[in-house]
Amino acid sequence: MKREIGIYIGGVILLALLFLLSLRIGVLHLQTPLFDILFKNNHGVDASTVWDIRLPRALGAIIFGAGLGFAGVIAQGIFRNPLAEPTLIGLSSGAVLGTIAVISSGAAVYGSRTNVYVAVLFAASTALMVQWLAPNKGFGFLLTGIAVSSILTSLAGLVITSSPKPSIQSLSFWNFGSLSLLNSETIRASAPVLEVGIITAFFVARKLDIYSLGDASSHYLGVNPKRIRFWAIIALAFLIGASVSAIGSIAFIGLLIPHIVRALIGPAHRRLLSISGLIGAIVLLAADLVARTAFEPHEIPLGLITSLIGAPALIILIRRSRAQWVAHD
Amino acid sequence: MIDIKRVTFSRGANVILDDFSAQILNGEAVLLSGSNGAGKSTLIQLIGGFLTPDSGSIEIIGNDISQLKAKDQAQLRSIAPQRRIFDLAFTVVQTLNFVPKKRRSLRTHQIIEELGLVDLLDKKVTELSIGQQQRVSLALALIQEADFYLLDEPFAGQDAASQVRTINLINEIKNEKGVLVVSHNSDNTHSWFDREIVLN
Repeated sequence: MKREIGIYIGGVILLALLFLLSLRIGVLHLQTPLFDILFKNNHGVDASTVWDIRLPRALGAIIFGAGLGFAGVIAQGIFRNPLAEPTLIGLSSGAVLGTIAVISSGAAVYGSRTNVYVAVLFAASTALMVQWLAPNKGFGFLLTGIAVSSILTSLAGLVITSSPKPSIQSLSFWNFGSLSLLNSETIRASAPVLEVGIITAFFVARKLDIYSLGDASSHYLGVNPKRIRFWAIIALAFLIGASVSAIGSIAFIGLLIPHIVRALIGPAHRRLLSISGLIGAIVLLAADLVARTAFEPHEIPLGLITSLIGAPALIILIRRSRAQWVAHD
Repeated sequence: MIDIKRVTFSRGANVILDDFSAQILNGEAVLLSGSNGAGKSTLIQLIGGFLTPDSGSIEIIGNDISQLKAKDQAQLRSIAPQRRIFDLAFTVVQTLNFVPKKRRSLRTHQIIEELGLVDLLDKKVTELSIGQQQRVSLALALIQEADFYLLDEPFAGQDAASQVRTINLINEIKNEKGVLVVSHNSDNTHSWFDREIVLN
């Protein structure tokens, strides 16, 4: 318990510091003190850079980072698979395809409400399809997810390359996972959807502890496993649809953070969920800070950084973890 | 009373229960025996509402269980399945807390003691032996307040001493409740039960 309180307090302080740092640094070097921009009536380039560009981006990193952390916890819990993560099991690719399809057809623009809803719908359909196709809940499930994911990614690529719209090419940066397109309108469109996902995730998490004992055990203890799976997929689709439509598909955050947090505080899902959300926000904010400042004035896609760090970490994790958690049908 | 009325259940072409009827009364401990594949665990899953009969019905104290939500079924009966998944590193006490306080039996402390779990409470279930996990699973079912207790192979993987303690517990519980125990004939536990139902 003490440890959790420590993580909460330390995490919130770290998040606040990173948040201020995100507002402070960037390609444009602020001439005005940040305090004046934030708390005094200030106009000019510095003020608009902070208020219109950096603030939405930092807020976006926090809410979508938290969303990815939440999604990882729910996906691992509901599929009883430590490697089930929205990018690995196809949900993110579904949302990517949905976004690209809706934008290239001209039905909606990036970051609009329609874009977000279509991404949610595609993520949910992908989750159902993978579940339906998978022969079992272990490796078969993961491999099915990876296969479906690569089909959807290829389809998305085809749509991008064959689209006559020049604007669609600019999505390639988003496609790698990036917060560079974020603005306050996008956040306004996706935040309510993300919120629904978060609330549903907390409702689901309360039951995931009992659910972990298996379908029959769960039913006997009064938790209907089919019902909880339904709500978990709703939660995942809303979390992933909202974040993918805004910042693209970002791998490994949802995979690794729940593992790290579980090792620190144990497997109880409600606490796991809230702390994973906090750490997800910290990690995405920090990664975005690196993405846009490390190679100034060039920005690199955030998804590349998370993959470069996340993939080796995944290998370490697979080598260390006992395979038993993957083996159950 | 658990009233199993003319239940038929098949898996594919394989008919597991054919027009099967039986009753389990309050205050009796019934042994459910039969060879492998005779449908003992299936019957438990049907009474538990996890499976639904193809035809026929199962009532617990006059309630058709197929009409009840999982949460409401859990008030009527408590079940120790043959196998639970213990994959996450919950401690034993955390696992027992899956049964909410208001639904816990007054005997909870006694059950934990009799099943020899007192020294294991702070251990992680993932680090326990199969026999110890089996006792946690049994405790999880027994500490849940209900009218009927259905225990699938509660003696499996237990040494003689803990078998005797489990039987003593069952004997005490059946004073007020009904108990149905699935067990292999080889367990030599026949004489402890009031009645035996044999599935073929």
